[in-house]
Amino acid sequence: MRFLGFLACTLFAGSVFSQNTIKIGVITDRVGVSKPYSEPATEGVVFGADEINRKGGVLGRKIELLIEDDQSRPDISAALARKLIDQDVVFILSVSLSPATQQQQTVTMEAKVPQMTPMNSADYLTTQLQNPYFWQTGPLGSVQGATLLAHARSKNLKRVALITDNSDLGQAIGKAFKGALEKANIQIVADEVVARGATTAMPQMQKIRAANPEAMFLAGVLTAENVLIFRAYKELGVKFPIHSSYNLSVPIYETVAKGLIDGITFVDAYDPDKPEVKAFVAAYRKAMGKDPQNLHGYGYDGIHLIADAIRRAGSTDKEKIREAMQKTDYAGVMGKKGMKYTFPEGKRAGFDPDGMVVRVYEKDKQGRVVYVGQK
Amino acid sequence: MRWLGAFLVLSGAAFLLGDYHNDVYRKMLLWVTLALGYNFLFGICGQVSFSHFAFYGIGAYSVVILLFQLHVPLPLAILLGVAVCIVVALAVAIPATRLEGFYLALATLALAQLFVVLLNEGGDITGGTGGIANYRLPAMLGLQIRGPWYTGVIVFLLLLTLWVLVKLDRSWFGRACRAVRDNPEAAAAMGIDVARTRVAAFTLTSALAGVAGMVYAFVDNTVNPPIFGLENAFLLLFMVIVGGSGRHAGAVIGAVLLFLLPFWLSPLVGHHHVLVFGVLMLAAILLQPKGLIGLWDQCRHRFSR
Repeated sequence: MRFLGFLACTLFAGSVFSQNTIKIGVITDRVGVSKPYSEPATEGVVFGADEINRKGGVLGRKIELLIEDDQSRPDISAALARKLIDQDVVFILSVSLSPATQQQQTVTMEAKVPQMTPMNSADYLTTQLQNPYFWQTGPLGSVQGATLLAHARSKNLKRVALITDNSDLGQAIGKAFKGALEKANIQIVADEVVARGATTAMPQMQKIRAANPEAMFLAGVLTAENVLIFRAYKELGVKFPIHSSYNLSVPIYETVAKGLIDGITFVDAYDPDKPEVKAFVAAYRKAMGKDPQNLHGYGYDGIHLIADAIRRAGSTDKEKIREAMQKTDYAGVMGKKGMKYTFPEGKRAGFDPDGMVVRVYEKDKQGRVVYVGQK
Repeated sequence: MRWLGAFLVLSGAAFLLGDYHNDVYRKMLLWVTLALGYNFLFGICGQVSFSHFAFYGIGAYSVVILLFQLHVPLPLAILLGVAVCIVVALAVAIPATRLEGFYLALATLALAQLFVVLLNEGGDITGGTGGIANYRLPAMLGLQIRGPWYTGVIVFLLLLTLWVLVKLDRSWFGRACRAVRDNPEAAAAMGIDVARTRVAAFTLTSALAGVAGMVYAFVDNTVNPPIFGLENAFLLLFMVIVGGSGRHAGAVIGAVLLFLLPFWLSPLVGHHHVLVFGVLMLAAILLQPKGLIGLWDQCRHRFSR
């Protein structure tokens, strides 16, 4: 038994860091379920920090990123938040799962260390814990649904079909869509589920075709199963439009659903025509030799929001940074044209509820914006 | 005396560590506690169960719900939490043991999946996908136990679990469990009630996992569904197999190694640590079926000759 204590004492080694940088901790997920989102967002953070450093840094000091991998495990995430705080970071940027961000908050709240997530969409992150040191700038889940339905209302739809998968998130989004559609007095003529691991979505799509809807809402979040749905849609030659959840904004569909997605509309927080986006894309392409995805924008905005707050605070004092962050008024890459991140009236969720857009796939590329906001 | 010494050393270590290392240390101790219980169930009693980790979650969630939503006092909440674990364990084990061993694996797998679904769909009771936060351990006798002192509670839990399991292992019950594992027919012929032994071992270890879960609930003062996901059930199984199933020391070695492995490897090889993990698993199963503790035995044998 004795060796347990011995192990714990000897096997961890501290690290030495230079004193002149501003240290910012990043907690990401390199191996778990959140990896497809976390990885591009983290690349966006790294690119953003390099850009800031090239332009002279913040308060004359360079930003040093300390990046940790939480393996999609919230308990490890909280431990890593402690590690970063021990290493004297002035801010923690969370780009892992929502529950992981939440578990980190139990640590940052006690240690009074500023923390923000630029991409998590869970509505509870700023309401469950009253943590004045935490901010969320990703679009909330409820805003995504409302934006998609506002677009649907603008089309005067009367009869629609709903299709989703049997994952937890797919079911939750499906339920939210259903409630909102019913509230808007839009009749759901078919309601189908594709099971995880299915090999075809033909039976579901045939039922939907038989119900003859004016449009189909897609709430599924499983990539492979969504591709099955698109394939069945194409093979059956049906013509009603597909309106999809936020899931279709993940650029992986451009490659895995080639030739199947032209004309599908989806909710996003990214407008390629926005001046800030054009500047970001040009700079990213020049530095990295490839185009950024919308997901890179979240991380990029995150590090810029933190740098902006530290600049306005005029020091790395955590309390001053907290005050400055709360007074944020910043236009970033994400959101509709002209949108600014703000935290009015003590709120700590900073994405404008009217800031999301509906985009359309043009051929196999995520294309132009066709609808803005949720009014 | 030896137990007291172990307690002092293990909990004393927490005071020497910083916040981060203490956090990793106490989470590791909880995994060791779970692995010890699972080793008794799987290694000593031969039951392949995937619900051990779900009971950890049942314990954690029930104590939080009882304390902060139903406002039950702490001692009663602990007792009720254990009772919940026992009732659920009996409900799974009694029907499952009427069938062959394979069906216990399926029934417990179903329970573990159902549990996570219930957590996500539980509305205000379980807090849904976000779980429950914003609570803290009630003060006892005016004292708020926190930081390294709480690690002392975890060490106490670990040693209590180990003590119970060692005593049981060396008793008539432990021998009955091993007999049931090795040859149920022969065990029955010797007068052991096979079904009752299996149900008792399952219920007891599940209750121990539930108690560990109650302690976990106050480590970060939050509970949420991803913590109790199904993949942890497999990790627990791997810990016992890599360490050496059927041996308490094996469970300890396996749990410490597999819990800490990503922390050591991640800075060295990045996300490839998952690959190393897989190779290690295969190597352990193919080359050293008795686990690392088997390797230790061989070394000791060779040197003592």
